[in-house]
Amino acid sequence: MLQAYWYITKMKLLTNLAYRFEVFASVGTNLILMLASVFLWQTAYKGGVGTVQSFSLQDLTTYTILSIMLGAMFVCDVQDTIYYKIREGQIVTDFYRPIPLLACYLADDIGGMLSAMANRVVPLILLASIFFGIPWPSSALSLLLFFPSCLLSYAILWLLSALVGLVAFWVMELGNMGMVKDSIVRVLSGSIVPLWFFPESVQTISKFLPFQYTYQTPLGIYIGNVGTKEALGAMAIQALWVGLLFLLLMAGWKRTKKKTLIQGG
Amino acid sequence: MEAVIEVIDLVKEYTIAKKGRGLRGSLKSLLFPQKTKVNGVDGISFSIAPGEIVGYIGPNGAGKSTTIKMLTGILHPTSGSIKVCGISPQADRKAVVGKLGVVFGQRTQLYWDLRLGESFELLRRIYQVDKATYEENMAVLGDVLKLNDFIDTPVRQLSLGQRMRGDLAAAMLHSPSVLFLDEPTIGLDADAKHAIRDFIKEMNRKMGLTVILTTHDLDDVEQLCSRLVVVNHGKVVEDGPIDSIIGKLTPHRLLVVELERPCDDLSHPAATIIKQEGLKVWYQFEKVRVTAAELISDLSQKLPIQDLSVKEPDIEDAIRAVYKGY
Repeated sequence: MLQAYWYITKMKLLTNLAYRFEVFASVGTNLILMLASVFLWQTAYKGGVGTVQSFSLQDLTTYTILSIMLGAMFVCDVQDTIYYKIREGQIVTDFYRPIPLLACYLADDIGGMLSAMANRVVPLILLASIFFGIPWPSSALSLLLFFPSCLLSYAILWLLSALVGLVAFWVMELGNMGMVKDSIVRVLSGSIVPLWFFPESVQTISKFLPFQYTYQTPLGIYIGNVGTKEALGAMAIQALWVGLLFLLLMAGWKRTKKKTLIQGG
Repeated sequence: MEAVIEVIDLVKEYTIAKKGRGLRGSLKSLLFPQKTKVNGVDGISFSIAPGEIVGYIGPNGAGKSTTIKMLTGILHPTSGSIKVCGISPQADRKAVVGKLGVVFGQRTQLYWDLRLGESFELLRRIYQVDKATYEENMAVLGDVLKLNDFIDTPVRQLSLGQRMRGDLAAAMLHSPSVLFLDEPTIGLDADAKHAIRDFIKEMNRKMGLTVILTTHDLDDVEQLCSRLVVVNHGKVVEDGPIDSIIGKLTPHRLLVVELERPCDDLSHPAATIIKQEGLKVWYQFEKVRVTAAELISDLSQKLPIQDLSVKEPDIEDAIRAVYKGY
């Protein structure tokens, strides 16, 4: 069984590496986004202020560069995969196979992530280093904590995406739901502007939402904005969200499967 | 021998929301949906022995696909029982699905962007077929379906006939005991159709594969199936060998006579003239009332016959009779 998943991952990896033009386009858009964001911070800091809310310009530059790289790497295509498979009726052939569907889609996305690491993250980090210098982590320890935190972030993002995908089973027409979710994630995760710059009330609310634990938590750890103890605490919350969303997805999937099997979708 | 597939009193009820007309109607049905219950499948029973090739036919919307979906476990019946290889697909879908091969003429389970062989490798891992068995199966399949010509081609570049052959191989990789074919020859040219029918026959003969075939192509049925199950309006209307179904449904035969010159009195007491075109006359008669020989000798006594031919009713007439009559 594990072999099958690995093979799906490998096939995705190979397919993605074959599409060259898409890689150029993606690196291009991400680079533009990165340059624009960093220049914005540079302008904001021009007034001669050394630090804003204890962040130096270098902190925010590093934060931005890494945020964009994570964005390029975190491939969560489940929601679209499910949506298209349902629209084209292809989901039926997947049901004929003696293998759990969602796990296959996860294997597929992991393949996407691995290929993105090779053909998006590497060129982006090179370009970023040329323009702004190498975005070093604040310490070796923070780098060490950064990686597991990223894994948890990805788990949260993927589960959210899969949950949106499930909705497609019920409404057939997903419409802009995926885009709405993506926008909410983009803003509330602190991937564009860290939530530390947001009003107090927004920060308080977002503490109880899963979004800030997707980008801001690992990035905060990387630039050394949070201490080791706080970092571990944040990762515990991440893990909690992963568990919660996982249970939610399983329950939703069970109901969806039952409904599909009974009503024929 | 024990049946491979046993279906008893299968019923599938659908709830259909009625949509109102116009703006007012659609508002109304949005707020107070009117639901009606429709039986897509209404009490179907049959059993299929190992090694049979059964044609499961009926007009569009007769409940064929619904039945197939229930047999493969992706739909649950409202009532009734199904056993595939002794297992209920509703209770243990994964076990049943491992014993089935499914091919849709209008859909593919192959990976679009990758070479054909890649899809087979994946399926080998999904069905956990060991390497030796896989090689063996691939050798047989590759030989009969001539896969080697295009196994390294990306699926999106295959012709429909090649893709269909690929899909058949994909469905047979894990040596299933039952193969479901849903319109496997749709849109194919004569040559490709021929190849696919040959393949089905070959697998049936060699491995004792049980095949259930739904199709609108009556040539498929005639060349492949020994038995037909005909459904209409969710019920089984006929079940038996092809010949007996044809005989039962269309007792008429046709005698076409071409005359040398126009005649006035063409009639015969045991036959009816159903068509006349210039010097050609079509007589319809019933086997039980008069034999073809008698009719010909009677007619040749009073008419100057130049040429004649007798037409047996074919499967198409029989099927049309079924679709119209019930």
